[in-house]
Amino acid sequence: MTVLEGQQQTIQRLPLAEGWRRAWRTGDWWRHLGLFGFLFFMFLPFIITIIISFKDIPQFDHYPFTVTFPLHPDNYLEAWRIVSRYILNSIITSGTSVVGMVILAAIAAWAFARYPFPGRELFFFGVLALLMVPGELTLIPAFLLVKDLGLLNTRWVLIAPYIAGGQVFAIFILRQFFEALPGEMFEAARIDGATELQVFRHIGIPLSQSILGVVAIMHVLSTWNDVIWPLVTLRSNELMTLTIGLYAFRTAWYTIWGPLMAGYVIASIPLIILFAFTSRLFVEGLSSGAIKM
Amino acid sequence: MTTEEIRAPASHATMADVRVPQERQSTLGQRIYRYRFVYLMLVPTFALLLTFNYYPAFMGLYRAFFKWDIGLQPEFLALGNFEKLFIRDDIFLKSLRHVSLLTSWRVISAVTFPFIVAELIFNLRSNVHKYTYRVLTILPAVVPGIVILLLWQFIYDGTHGLLNAFLEGVGLEDWQQPWLGSPKTALYAVTFMGFPWVGGVTVLIYLAGLQGISDEVIDSSLVDGCSGLRRIFAIDIPLILGQFKLIIVLAVIGGLQGWVAVFVMTAGGPGTASMVPGLWMYNNAFLWNKMGYASAIGMFLFVLIMCLTILNVKFVKTGDY
Repeated sequence: MTVLEGQQQTIQRLPLAEGWRRAWRTGDWWRHLGLFGFLFFMFLPFIITIIISFKDIPQFDHYPFTVTFPLHPDNYLEAWRIVSRYILNSIITSGTSVVGMVILAAIAAWAFARYPFPGRELFFFGVLALLMVPGELTLIPAFLLVKDLGLLNTRWVLIAPYIAGGQVFAIFILRQFFEALPGEMFEAARIDGATELQVFRHIGIPLSQSILGVVAIMHVLSTWNDVIWPLVTLRSNELMTLTIGLYAFRTAWYTIWGPLMAGYVIASIPLIILFAFTSRLFVEGLSSGAIKM
Repeated sequence: MTTEEIRAPASHATMADVRVPQERQSTLGQRIYRYRFVYLMLVPTFALLLTFNYYPAFMGLYRAFFKWDIGLQPEFLALGNFEKLFIRDDIFLKSLRHVSLLTSWRVISAVTFPFIVAELIFNLRSNVHKYTYRVLTILPAVVPGIVILLLWQFIYDGTHGLLNAFLEGVGLEDWQQPWLGSPKTALYAVTFMGFPWVGGVTVLIYLAGLQGISDEVIDSSLVDGCSGLRRIFAIDIPLILGQFKLIIVLAVIGGLQGWVAVFVMTAGGPGTASMVPGLWMYNNAFLWNKMGYASAIGMFLFVLIMCLTILNVKFVKTGDY
């Protein structure tokens, strides 16, 4: 269920598993071969993107898919001039909304997990039901709502709905996690005179860092990649997020492949950096077995 | 904190359970009053949900029964929108066929290729290798989706594209074409993009399931002489049906909602050769301002997704071993 348990499971079962596998199998070479095959094709588009990003137009016309010299790193400068603004916008949007979302979701999930208040299951069902509502149903009324609220073409038109919508899944995951935390610890803290708030802040939150991290990363990924909502609610180039900025960039720079591909590479870097710092969290959170039906 | 609570058995999971005997005696009003701060904790969450989720959702259902063009008074049509949708709108009916092809392939590819990769990784002996492959398979998942779509658009490009260059390289010049620009191939190009169809997140979900299978089960299967492919079909797959179910639900939802890919790659074209319902809704709403009609398409997608999810959860049984 939890990230921690997942880790323990892996550690415990290894000696046994290693034993029987060694006993009846001579080698793993063909598995490596198969995995290499899959990975090669998974990475091929990205490798070719990087190769093309260093080409000028004649180089691309003659040798589109092989490395050509001289390299043209100036493509990156050119792309950066256009893409950097969109990246900054995406960082502001996803960053603000993830902070707001995690705080609100953690508080609500804590309430659902630890207090038997009247109406608890009803309210929780009210949150869960929203998991079933697809964006298609709400897109048009939500658009007209933010139009009436005068939010169109501001940063809030993205941030507020992202916080609202992101909570749903986060509350669902966090409630399960909070409920599984050992209750004796909180009881002990209360006996020692801790207030409800102190229990939450000094015991609950520190114990849940990993799952909060997973929920946060998933939220950043989904908001960062959103296309339709920013497309219909933002008009001005100054506010555009990366997805729609790149889309516009593609239309404007079609066939000038070098800088275009350099732009794609630059656009991928922020999330790759985020992933580099959190891969362990991410991989183990998803591998912990909590996610199934 | 009363002495009564302190003496309560320590095995109780939460303070919630400890307080239960007291609550039986108190009235509903008293209980609500006692937990007033909890309701306070939920206020910001529900304020946002009501505004940005509940209100639009109900509005979407409500306006589906109206002729509702921007700037004009809404006009109640009862089922008029749906009648038009299913009887007179040929493009919508065509889009339904398209989306079933897209969704079917998504489901088929999601239960095969990522599962093969997960089995390959799971059966590796070295833990270091296992971890490395897990990170490598998830890595493409952090490349922004729009970049991947635009890259596939480039791969399919008629004059500069990688696919045509590959065909030329292996001597199949005859097969070359503008994959996204030809009405014959556009839909299939969009459907089959993403080769080799291995989603990193999906692989990790399968892997988590495989790792959760207990050693006793695997050991006893070995004693009984069950190994290799037979173990995969007799033990692995039945034991991780929970994961398969989730992946199928996600693939169905993803397929029905996956019109953003079509929007970016072909905009439904050429003509309407790759139109899907989600995109048809978008066009009706944001190109032609027919908000009521578009809401009806949105409502149809909502009902369809809900029915398919319920069917899947109900009829694909999770084995209890």
